[in-house]
Amino acid sequence: MSTIKEYLTLDHRKCDELFADMEYKASISLADAKEIVEKFVAQTERHFQLEERIVFEEFEQKTGMTQGPTQIMRHEHSQVRNLMKELLDAISQNNKDKFFGTSETLMILMQQHNMKEEQMLYPLVQQHLDDDSDRIIEIMKTLVVE
Amino acid sequence: MKLQGLSTDQAPHLSVPIRFFITAPLFGILAGLIIFFNDSNLLMNRYSLESIVVTHLLTIGFLGFVMLGSLTQMLPVLAGAKIPKAQTISMISYLLLTIGCLAMFFGLLQNNTFFTEIAFLALGGGFLLILGVIAIGIKSVSHFTSTVKGMGVSVAFAISIVFMGMYLLYGHLSHNITSLHLLIADIHSVWAVLGFSGILIISVSFQVLPMFYVAPKFKPFCKNRVVYIISTGLILWLILNIALPEYAFLAKIWLSLFFLAFATTVWIKLNKRRRPVSDVTVWYWRSASVFLMLGVFLWITDELFKNEYIVMVAILIGGGFILSVMIGMLYKIVPFLVWFHLNAMGYMNLPTIVEMIDKRLAKIQFLLFFTSLVGFIFSFYYGLLLKPSALFFILSMVILQYNIIQPIWLYAKTKKTKPDFDMSMFN
Repeated sequence: MSTIKEYLTLDHRKCDELFADMEYKASISLADAKEIVEKFVAQTERHFQLEERIVFEEFEQKTGMTQGPTQIMRHEHSQVRNLMKELLDAISQNNKDKFFGTSETLMILMQQHNMKEEQMLYPLVQQHLDDDSDRIIEIMKTLVVE
Repeated sequence: MKLQGLSTDQAPHLSVPIRFFITAPLFGILAGLIIFFNDSNLLMNRYSLESIVVTHLLTIGFLGFVMLGSLTQMLPVLAGAKIPKAQTISMISYLLLTIGCLAMFFGLLQNNTFFTEIAFLALGGGFLLILGVIAIGIKSVSHFTSTVKGMGVSVAFAISIVFMGMYLLYGHLSHNITSLHLLIADIHSVWAVLGFSGILIISVSFQVLPMFYVAPKFKPFCKNRVVYIISTGLILWLILNIALPEYAFLAKIWLSLFFLAFATTVWIKLNKRRRPVSDVTVWYWRSASVFLMLGVFLWITDELFKNEYIVMVAILIGGGFILSVMIGMLYKIVPFLVWFHLNAMGYMNLPTIVEMIDKRLAKIQFLLFFTSLVGFIFSFYYGLLLKPSALFFILSMVILQYNIIQPIWLYAKTKKTKPDFDMSMFN
């Protein structure tokens, strides 16, 4: 069984893969990229909910830290969500410049966010929730995105 | 519990890295002016005071400033390093280094002891202060990636070259230029180029190339070993130079092989990158890779010519490789930092980071810079090319200054006019 840290890190890589596919398709035709952009947005949203609704909740309950690192990560999720909305707008307006301008901002934002999580938050989460690791991963697998 | 790095107040204020970034091109312009108003024979002699001043305006004033600005920004955010009193120390260090660079310029060129003494104190103090707190910051990191380890090694080389630099400047102050002075000058320059800058660029590229361009990841061997192999090569080169100078070329070959491998790897990784975007930063990485290959090749073959081409090596590696990477990085990091800080304050209706800098102007800046470097290299044979090349270089630095200041103006304007917060993202 993998750890929470491994599970969520792997999920980051899935989002990265979709991001690269999305940009590649969009460089050929923005209209044809709609489906993959939606897929990327859905996968990223799912990842955020895995964290916000399950892992962060468990971490906050266990440590009592509700205004600490998880709060910062939630804020960055909002920033990413906002940019994903702009990506979808760019697709519906068929505006390639806006799409790639937004995707560039989104990419750097996401990568630095992922690094913070993978290098600092996930090890911390794993340290505190190690005993509950299997149970939490099972819950994550069955998450229904809201 | 290691929570530092994730708290907002841990991320340095925008002014910490930005003041270094926006000052760097000014030193580039000053260096360009000195080249323009001087004779090519003086500049082609690595020991002339003019070439020492030009070199240090670029290596300290441009490269050093960009590297220090980046380290103070990246270490807390990406590695959770806790740099003590980052804002105050970086400000003091920035002032000392700026004064030190200018004092060195006046002191050495005017043969003015007072200014050279100021340079000695200000440069030594400025560097040791900021490198000291960066080193403390690195020590506080709990999860060491290969990039952070590389940064640590690079900072260790930086501290060594600062002490050597102080010794060398003291030599000029006391008019005591011995054979030891020349040996230390050699070690100082090679460790600065390959140890401090080279190792820093290699370590950062482990993260940056796969991250920014979705290029294939570096192999574990590269990430875990190369920095130590290069460091060993540099120490070996030092020992051989002192004990068995006739065998020093062996360490040179050792170092060259790994830097050639790195240059090739960068080119291949960029070819295999999955992002279709090809902006000016990709051009800069590619030119850096080519200049590094040529520079390292010439550094090795220069053994056969008794270091006759060492200035050309410096142009290829210092200008073509290191300066290229630094400029490319400025184009990525400055707009992102502005966007990130404004967005975190609640300003949502911002231009994207691509829109903050005019793409066309960035490409013109690259072409001018690239042409100036090629011109400098050929000035070695045709002295007449030096002045037009210097003009191209100055112009490229002026445009660079304009380009990177655009996002800062946007930041200042947005904070001043305080447009209504768009709270849509919280809905």
